Parts: sequence; structure tokens; C-alpha cells
Amino acid sequence: MFVILKRIFRTAWQGLIRNNWLSIACISMLTISLMILGSILIFNNVSHNLIDVLEEKMDVSIYFNREVPEEDILKIRNELIGNDKIAKIEYVSQEEALKRFEEKSSQNQTIMKALEELGENPLVAFLSIKAKDTSYYSEIIEEVNNSSFKDKLMTVGLAENQRVIERINALSKGIKFGSFFIIIIATILSVLISFNTIRMAIYSLRGEIEIMKLVGASNWFIRGPFLLEGAIYGLTASVLAIVIFMPLVIWISPKLETFVSEISISSYFWSHFWFIFGIQTLFGIGLGMIAGFWAMNKYLKA
Amino acid sequence: MSLVYFKNVSKAYNGSLILDNVSFKIEPGEFVSLVGRSGVGKTTLLKMLIKEEAPTKGRIFFNEKDINKIKPTEVTLLRRKIGMVFQDFKLLTQKTAYENVAFAMEVAGYPENMIKKDAPELLKLVNLESRANNFPFQLSAGEKQRVVIARVLAQRPELILADEPTGDLDPINTWEIIKLITKINELGTAIILATHNKEVINTLNKRVISIDSGKIIRDEEEGRYLI
Ligand SMILES: Nc1ncnc2c1ncn2[C@@H]1O[C@H](COP(=O)(O)OP(=O)(O)O)[C@@H](O)[C@H]1O
Ligand SMILES: [Mg+2]
Repeated sequence: MFVILKRIFRTAWQGLIRNNWLSIACISMLTISLMILGSILIFNNVSHNLIDVLEEKMDVSIYFNREVPEEDILKIRNELIGNDKIAKIEYVSQEEALKRFEEKSSQNQTIMKALEELGENPLVAFLSIKAKDTSYYSEIIEEVNNSSFKDKLMTVGLAENQRVIERINALSKGIKFGSFFIIIIATILSVLISFNTIRMAIYSLRGEIEIMKLVGASNWFIRGPFLLEGAIYGLTASVLAIVIFMPLVIWISPKLETFVSEISISSYFWSHFWFIFGIQTLFGIGLGMIAGFWAMNKYLKA
Repeated sequence: MSLVYFKNVSKAYNGSLILDNVSFKIEPGEFVSLVGRSGVGKTTLLKMLIKEEAPTKGRIFFNEKDINKIKPTEVTLLRRKIGMVFQDFKLLTQKTAYENVAFAMEVAGYPENMIKKDAPELLKLVNLESRANNFPFQLSAGEKQRVVIARVLAQRPELILADEPTGDLDPINTWEIIKLITKINELGTAIILATHNKEVINTLNKRVISIDSGKIIRDEEEGRYLI
């Protein structure tokens, strides 16, 4: 048994070294298909992060009439906290609201002047509510609208928010759906590339396979070295793919962060380095061996 | 007990009959030449013996065993007992002369120390010890055919099928190969030599089976090439 393994290893090694152009071709194609796979992993994470970021930005604010005292608002807040659709409620007082508004508008001279001339705080206090799930927002708005304290509210802000919420919901659904398709197509593409490459490699070696059969080699004796070569191709391609990814990630990540600052490819890449590399390696070795096995069967049939 | 027995064997490719009800026996250690015009079915006949082609009708026995009944896994065993020499050599291009010989032994499960001892000796026997580490593309046609013969011998076959082994060789190399094959036969291995080289047949002075139009038209000891 040990001797057979040794012979299989030796033949595989000879095949790798002596058929170098074929090995290089196979490894390059496998590297490309593993890079597609690695990109899928990263893309999948980025698109989910994007959804998280959008959902994180989402909230519903209920604005109170000017004359409602702070203690009433806090009471309502305590009441709402008990609602199991709500994750977090922030109370923003009139003063706090003004401070935020001034910060936001500090560049705009006309607004600042108008505020000054007005002399008093034109803003109202509000509760900013975050739901446990984005799909709860419309229900929360509904409940607020039918609540016992609805007379104390200026309801205008709610209606406006609802439109934004619906749009974000639609957008995140779109992203989920689109990324699902991209993942499927890219996976098929990478499987097709590797299968065809390996199939062509085996095809070019069909003469050798036929001779081995004529000399009386058993199917496993013929198959073994090829499967091993396939596994080595997969492993090498995986290492290459991850090595190529490193500078790519370093280069692209800051560019993307200027668009959406909350998304960082590089932090995902480095924190999931072994995960990405592991999946790629498994995929590469599996693909190399399965494709080799499948492509060879045609020539090994009696 | 015959080594090879073709019993009423017919072979058709896509309905056209190539061999028609052919019967003959070959004894262990015998040297038989198979002659006939190109396309008469000599290669087909040899291929059926190693189970690369199946007869359309009839039965083929090797060592009294019906080869149509052996399991696919046992075909490898059959092929280790029957060595093949081809006109186009069929050497493994990825392996050196030495490795080609060693491969036949590895396949048959010989231990490593035996391979290390036998393979160089076999290369010496065919006068190629200096070319042991050359790849097939670095060898001349005559040298390639000698490697093939060393590889066949490494299998320790009971029968060697030589299908136009000298077809691609010049006269000098042709005689070297024929001398080698004769020597191997004298050491006890049965040979079936398919050829249409008239000179070779007439010099050998061995049994000749002549085929024409699908039939054996002559089967004589000390035969002549008469087609
Ligand atoms: N695989 C095949 N399929 C169809 N016809 C074949 C096949 N192999 C050989 N033949 C035909 O069978 C005939 C005998 O071929 P072959 O045995 O190679 O003859 P020989 O070796 O005597 O020259 C030829 O006419 C050839 O064209
Ligand atoms: Mg022929």
C-alpha cells in the first residue's frame, strides 16, 4: 500500500514538472476561477454590510407639539420601550434639536441669519425610534398614529419617513436579490472554467492513459497521479489567488471607502483571511480532483 | 493445453465483416507469424486477444480461459501476461526509457528493489543502458522499439504480440529487432508477429498463418510469405 502511494506520488510529481506548460495553464485557469470565488465571498459580505449600513441609518422620529412638557414625552418613551418591535428610543429635546440643526447648517449663512432673527427656538422635541427589524417600521408608525397620545404629535414627519423607509426596504431587497444572482452566475462560471481546463488537460494526455491501460495498469493506478496533480493544482492556485488578492484589496479598499465609509473590504479581508483562503483551497482541491476524475472516466472505460 | 485458442471467431465493424469464422490454436512457447495485406484484420485479431475489441461471434481462450467472460478488473491481469509491441511504439512520453520499463513493473506490483535490479538489466539486454535517462523524443525509432521490448519483457509475459514492430524501421534496425524477438522466443515466450515484411517471414522459417478476405487461407510450419 505504501509502495503504491509512493509510486502514485512520484508519477504525479513527474507529470507536474515535465508537463510544465500544461501545469501552468491549469494552475492559471484555476487561479482565475478561485479569484472569482474569492470575489464572491467579499462581494457577498460587502452587499450585506451595505444593507446593514442602510438599515442602521433608518429610524422613525415622532415630533411632539411645542406645548407638550418633557416629562410627558419621557413617559411616552417609557411606554414605547415596552413594545417588542422597538429596539432603541432616543429622546431629543428642543435645545438638543436646535444644537444639531445649527451644527448641520453652520455653512449656510441664510439659515443661520434667519435663526438669529427669529430669536427663539423654532424646533420641537422628538423621539427617534429604531426598530428591531426594518419591516416593523410601518407597523410602529401605524401604532403611533392610533395611540392614546396621538393628539400630542405633529404627524407630518412620520409620513415623510415612511416613504424613505419603503425605498430603503425596496433597495435592500434589490441588493439581496441581485447579489444572489451574481453569486450563482459567478459560481457557475468558475466551475465551468476549471472543469473545461482540466478536461482539456486530460484530453491532451489521453494517449498516455491508453498506453498505461495497454501495459496493464489498473484504473486506480492511472487515476491516482492525475487526481493528486489536480489537488496540487488546486492548492497552488488557491495560494496564488490569495497572494494576488492582497495588493488588490489594499488598492481597491480605500477607493470604495470614499463612497461608502462604513464599508471596508480590507478589514473584512484581513479578519476573514483564513476563512477566505480555506474556502478557496477546499474549492480548488475539490474542483481539481472532481474534474480530473470526471474527465478521465471517459478514457478509463473498458 | 493451448496458450491461445480462437474458436470460430468472426468480427464485423459496423456491419462489414472483417474476420469470418476464424479458428486456430497456438501452443506455449510457439513463434507464429500472421501475414496478410494491409487492412485484412491482423491488428483487429490481436486487439481481440487483449480485450481491446470484442469478437462479434465465437470465443477466444487464453490459457483455456474464455476472455470474453473475464471481469473488467481482470483485464489488467490479462494485459500483464500478454505484452504488446506496436509499430508506433506507444512509449509514455513523460517518462524516460528507464521509467517506461520500471512503470510496467510498478503496475504489476513488483517490489522496488526488484525493479531497481531488473530494469537496468533489461535495458542492457536491448543494448540501451547508455540511454536509460533519455526521453522517447530523444531516441531513434530503433531505440524506441528496443525500449518497448525491454518494457514488454519487464512484464514477464507468457505471450508477446508484435504488431508490425518493424514497420517504421530501416533494414538494419529491422533485423536487430527481429533477432531480439527470436532470442526472447528461444528463452520460452510465445510470439505472434503480425507483419507484411516478406523478407522477414521467409528468413524466420517459423509457422505462418496467412489471412485473406477474412479467412485463414494457409497455416503452415516453416511457412513462406505467399500473398
Ligand atoms: N475501430 C474500427 N472501426 C471501424 N473499422 C475498423 C476499426 N478498426 C479497424 N477497422 C477496419 O477493419 C479492417 C481491418 O483493420 P486492421 O485490423 O487494422 O487491419 P491490418 O492490421 O491487417 O492492417 C480495416 O478495413 C479497417 O479499416
Ligand atoms: Mg495493423
